[in-house]
Amino acid sequence: MSKPYRIGIDVGGTFTDFVAMDEAGGTVICKSASTPEDQSIGVLEGLQDLARRLDLTLADLLARTERIVHGTTVATNALLERKGARTGLLTTAGHRDILEMREGLKPDRYNLLMAPPEPLVPRDLRRPVTERIGQDGRILVPLDEPALREEVAALRDAGVTSVAICFLHAYRNSEHERRAAEIVAEMMPEAYVSVSSRVLPQIKEYERLSTTVVNAYIGPVVRRYMDRLTGRLAEAGYDGPLYIILSHGGITRVEDAVALAAGTCLSGPAGGIAGARACAELIGAGNVIPFDMGGTSTEISLITDGAVALTSERGLAGERIALRSYDILSIGAGGGSLAENRPGTGFSVGPQSAGAVPGPACYGRGGTRATVTDSNLVLGYLDPDAFAGKGGLDLQAAEAAIDEVAAELGLTRMEAAAGIHRLINVKMADGIRLMTLRRGVDPRNFTMLSFGGAAGLHSVEVAREMGIGRVVVPAVASVLSAWGMLASDLRLEVSRSLPNAGGWEDEEILRAVFDTLEEQARERLPGMTPGRMSVERSADMRYGEQIFEIGVSLDGIDFDAPGFAAEVEERFHRRHEELYTYASRGQDVDMVNARVAVIGAVPRGDAAREVAPATGRAQPSGTRRIHSAGAVVEAPLYAMDSLAPGHEIAGPAVVEADTTTVILHSGDAASLTPHGWLDIAVGPRDRSAAAEEVSQPATID
Amino acid sequence: MTDSSNDPIDPISRAVIQHRLSAIVEQMGEAMLRTAYSQILNASRDFSMGIVDRDCRLIAQADHIPVHVGALPWAVKAVEDRFGDDVAEGDVIVLNDPYAGGSHLPDVTIFSPVFAGGARRLWAVVRAHMGDIGGATHGAYNPEAREIWQEGLRLPPMKLADAGVMREDVIDMILMNVRFPREFRGDLDAMIGAAHLGQRSLDRLHAEFGAPMVGAAIEETLNGAETRTRAIVADWPDGVYEGTAYLDDDGRGREDVAIRARVTVQGSDLTVDLTASDAQSDSFVNSPFANTQASVAMALAYLIDADIPKNDGVFRILDVKLRPGTIVHPREGAPVTMSTTHPANEIVEAIVRALQAACPERCSGGWSRRFRMSITGRNPRNGRNFVWHLFHARPGGGASSAGDGWSGAGEWHSVGGIKFGSVEVTEARFPLFFATHEFRPGSGGDGTYRGGLGTSLDLRVEVPAFAHTAGEGIRHGAAGIAGGRDGAPHDYRMVTAEGETALRTKQFGIEIAPDTLFRIRSGGGGGWGDPAARAPEARSRDEKLGLV
Repeated sequence: MSKPYRIGIDVGGTFTDFVAMDEAGGTVICKSASTPEDQSIGVLEGLQDLARRLDLTLADLLARTERIVHGTTVATNALLERKGARTGLLTTAGHRDILEMREGLKPDRYNLLMAPPEPLVPRDLRRPVTERIGQDGRILVPLDEPALREEVAALRDAGVTSVAICFLHAYRNSEHERRAAEIVAEMMPEAYVSVSSRVLPQIKEYERLSTTVVNAYIGPVVRRYMDRLTGRLAEAGYDGPLYIILSHGGITRVEDAVALAAGTCLSGPAGGIAGARACAELIGAGNVIPFDMGGTSTEISLITDGAVALTSERGLAGERIALRSYDILSIGAGGGSLAENRPGTGFSVGPQSAGAVPGPACYGRGGTRATVTDSNLVLGYLDPDAFAGKGGLDLQAAEAAIDEVAAELGLTRMEAAAGIHRLINVKMADGIRLMTLRRGVDPRNFTMLSFGGAAGLHSVEVAREMGIGRVVVPAVASVLSAWGMLASDLRLEVSRSLPNAGGWEDEEILRAVFDTLEEQARERLPGMTPGRMSVERSADMRYGEQIFEIGVSLDGIDFDAPGFAAEVEERFHRRHEELYTYASRGQDVDMVNARVAVIGAVPRGDAAREVAPATGRAQPSGTRRIHSAGAVVEAPLYAMDSLAPGHEIAGPAVVEADTTTVILHSGDAASLTPHGWLDIAVGPRDRSAAAEEVSQPATID
Repeated sequence: MTDSSNDPIDPISRAVIQHRLSAIVEQMGEAMLRTAYSQILNASRDFSMGIVDRDCRLIAQADHIPVHVGALPWAVKAVEDRFGDDVAEGDVIVLNDPYAGGSHLPDVTIFSPVFAGGARRLWAVVRAHMGDIGGATHGAYNPEAREIWQEGLRLPPMKLADAGVMREDVIDMILMNVRFPREFRGDLDAMIGAAHLGQRSLDRLHAEFGAPMVGAAIEETLNGAETRTRAIVADWPDGVYEGTAYLDDDGRGREDVAIRARVTVQGSDLTVDLTASDAQSDSFVNSPFANTQASVAMALAYLIDADIPKNDGVFRILDVKLRPGTIVHPREGAPVTMSTTHPANEIVEAIVRALQAACPERCSGGWSRRFRMSITGRNPRNGRNFVWHLFHARPGGGASSAGDGWSGAGEWHSVGGIKFGSVEVTEARFPLFFATHEFRPGSGGDGTYRGGLGTSLDLRVEVPAFAHTAGEGIRHGAAGIAGGRDGAPHDYRMVTAEGETALRTKQFGIEIAPDTLFRIRSGGGGGWGDPAARAPEARSRDEKLGLV
């Protein structure tokens, strides 16, 4: 049977999104309610629905499916909600507290009234093991196996179901870790085992140990979920590959995702960014800022020259995870952020949020305090009859909440609502500033890609604040993550620390390190014909005295040519110069990590089909009274799916799509891309208009 | 100075401007971090950024090093006093003199003036701790110094750039007087870059909103911080409160050097009188005027809500009384290098000890003291000389009304802000071996809430080397507060074939034979509240986790 379909599945907090794409690039999408207790139930329900839409049985659909790519929040939720396994740690004797020391750092500098967090593994489950490897990899103290067995027995008796193993310098010599893992497997056959030299074979014990512990903590949860999911899929007749999307946007097989569960912590948002990257390609924009604004949080990332910024400096829920992930800035603000006016602090929006319960006042679930969503409703940006299926939005409740803020500030209702809108936009702009200006990137050379439920209401104004001239709202905005998983290449990445930072220039060793990594990576990316596979080599390097490494691409360097190490070093100098304006060619250079990525090209088809051009002018479906540039105006209202390439819309205007609404103001102009996406030319910033919004100066306490 | 301080401003513009001001100082700090050369800057982040106005009022400041809070206005005052109206666009001014707005010599400060509407309005200020500043010893910590001229190069306020033209001759003079001129120049360029970045961002802010509106927003921001601070202090009972903290010694035989704080709470005003403190020393433990001011400001910052912006509004409620000739206000010429840690820590502790009677729930148990140690020698692996500074073995943080203290989180002046380097990286780079580096059980001060634990470090030095110390806290542990007990003091020992010796706090040139072991036990944080009130579950948990 031919297998024309590929399926992308993105499990979110509320909905699970599905996209089926055929060989011609035709897509069918659907959403099902997520089932947090066991996400695999919702997945199977959604697949049933997807099959129905294709007029197939589930078994038929699965039999015709070439692969499934899946983004999951199982790991994320287990960590955020602290619902991972009871975890034990085996570590080098004398170094029991690496996890809890957190390198000496405490967040929130001036808050001294703050109790320390509970570590994922309490001290009594962090067991010291007599052994020691030196910095050069030599065994200084042999592994004391009888003592190790006693410690393992103690963990077993304490009810531990997952064991992390991290010994000092194991990135140089993993013999003791390997032996300890064997003993754990023998004595605790059911336990999940997480070994630092496999999870993150890199120098710096806190990062490696913390990542290994996180992996152990969420590993059993991920394993349980994957077992259920693969079981259900097999039952339903699927025998193709299931790939899991990782935090860095690469994919991996299920068994590898279980072994490296910590690598799936940002699996969900990574799909969105992969989608954004595919969108960027389709619209021919190399520099894109994906802007994903939802109810409680907003995610901002950066695509430069078609590449997504990566980082290994992040963590989640206060836990350090040093695996590479997409560099995603998550701001705890969105539609639910609360406006408040405190003496001294003055007027602010967020960081407090109304959350899902009670939610914004207009949701009618008991919230009475003004949120960003309430201000959007009062400003006319949202349709009170929207969310009709859920009972609509309560305009009176929103007005009452806004009035309360207005009274405190001595402003009119509209002024207060416009103020809330402006402030949340400034906050979002701050986020973009962090992702761009702070990294020395000028946002004005970027296109903003707007997706996520609340983004369209704010994106044009946020872009204007930052001097960004173009905003694109893709038609697939509502299922961008699932779509992105299908439209992205398959990417698998491996890395390791160099044996010795100082001696990396030894060309024989260097060649062997990269060749071995490449072999490993190729092995793990199955089903790919060599012709469709490409390889990227890179390294993390720094000057001897620096502490921040930079990523240096080694593509195009011939590792068989004598003297290639000098070219590697020169690449580093040039990259450093690009980033920081200078290079120090006389200084020692260290290579800390070697990296190899293997990329399997995916046939794209035309991932988003082109839409037939328009025949005539855009027809508004009605008008809406909205607040724009300091006044209430009657703005035309368009349905996004009634628009086609060739249509031109001038602001002020409202464009409504399935799951988002886009607001244009005077000076903004929108056209449609060949794929039917909204392409907005952002009007210039007008200080006087902004000043008018708050035309009546107010005094505050 | 602002010509619009009485104009009302709409709350939205005010919030936007307020946001931008803090974004600007953050952005300056980020640029500094990325571009700095030396480890003390890019790893330990020993620098700070501020915006100060012509009236020497702190407008905004990035949260980097607490002891720099409130220090920058005094630096600006020295610049204003020296140059007055003789400041042009494009000037860059430098200073480090502890007797003219500086703290200690390694802390160099750079100023970039900000003009708007034809008038000078603000300063973008960058302060950073340089790796070396000349003088008798590397890095300026010289226990032998009897006068400031033995500690390094003194820079009064002077111009490094004149209307946009760098004075390379002046820079050459500075570089000639420091040990690592290339590194120094790299760090200096990073500082100037960060100050320029701040100045340009402030130019844009002025262009967008106009100087009067920016000025009005600044007034309201400062007033807002003052309002919130006053609301807190007004809740404390009026009265006179006294507290004392001690330096172990001055390294010259004087022990228990006292810092005495007499704090008067009257309504929402605070007077901190340190005039009864002991006489100045002829060693480097003196705290010059601006550093003492900054230390008092740091104490206040720890007592108010963490989210109140640290600006001039907060410090308006303070009146600090000092007497010349004391350890907290030495006469010009006395050496001062230790002051940013000691007696800065003791000044904070004396004030917190005094105010525990007024606002116990806001007073944290004592954070620890800093015991600095460096080791120098030759690294056989690369044949080069090395200098290693001890940032490991972090001591414990204080307990508080919110719970137990943070173990291994540090001293009053850092409060969890100093990152120690990876043990693996340290072993790979230096001829050092970390046999043990974990919590030190029993070191946290007892209390309703227990102080954080210090750290046990057994460090073997594999080669012949020299060690230097410049520390405090082997006699006095971190203060217990509100009935809590003091944390255990530090205990640093050197173990050789001949036996064991306790290290003194201020010792220069300790000779180290190969394979000498340093047995370092850093102090714990002070406890908070009556130990009798500690929950039995908390005690049994401490037992189970091996923390006591």
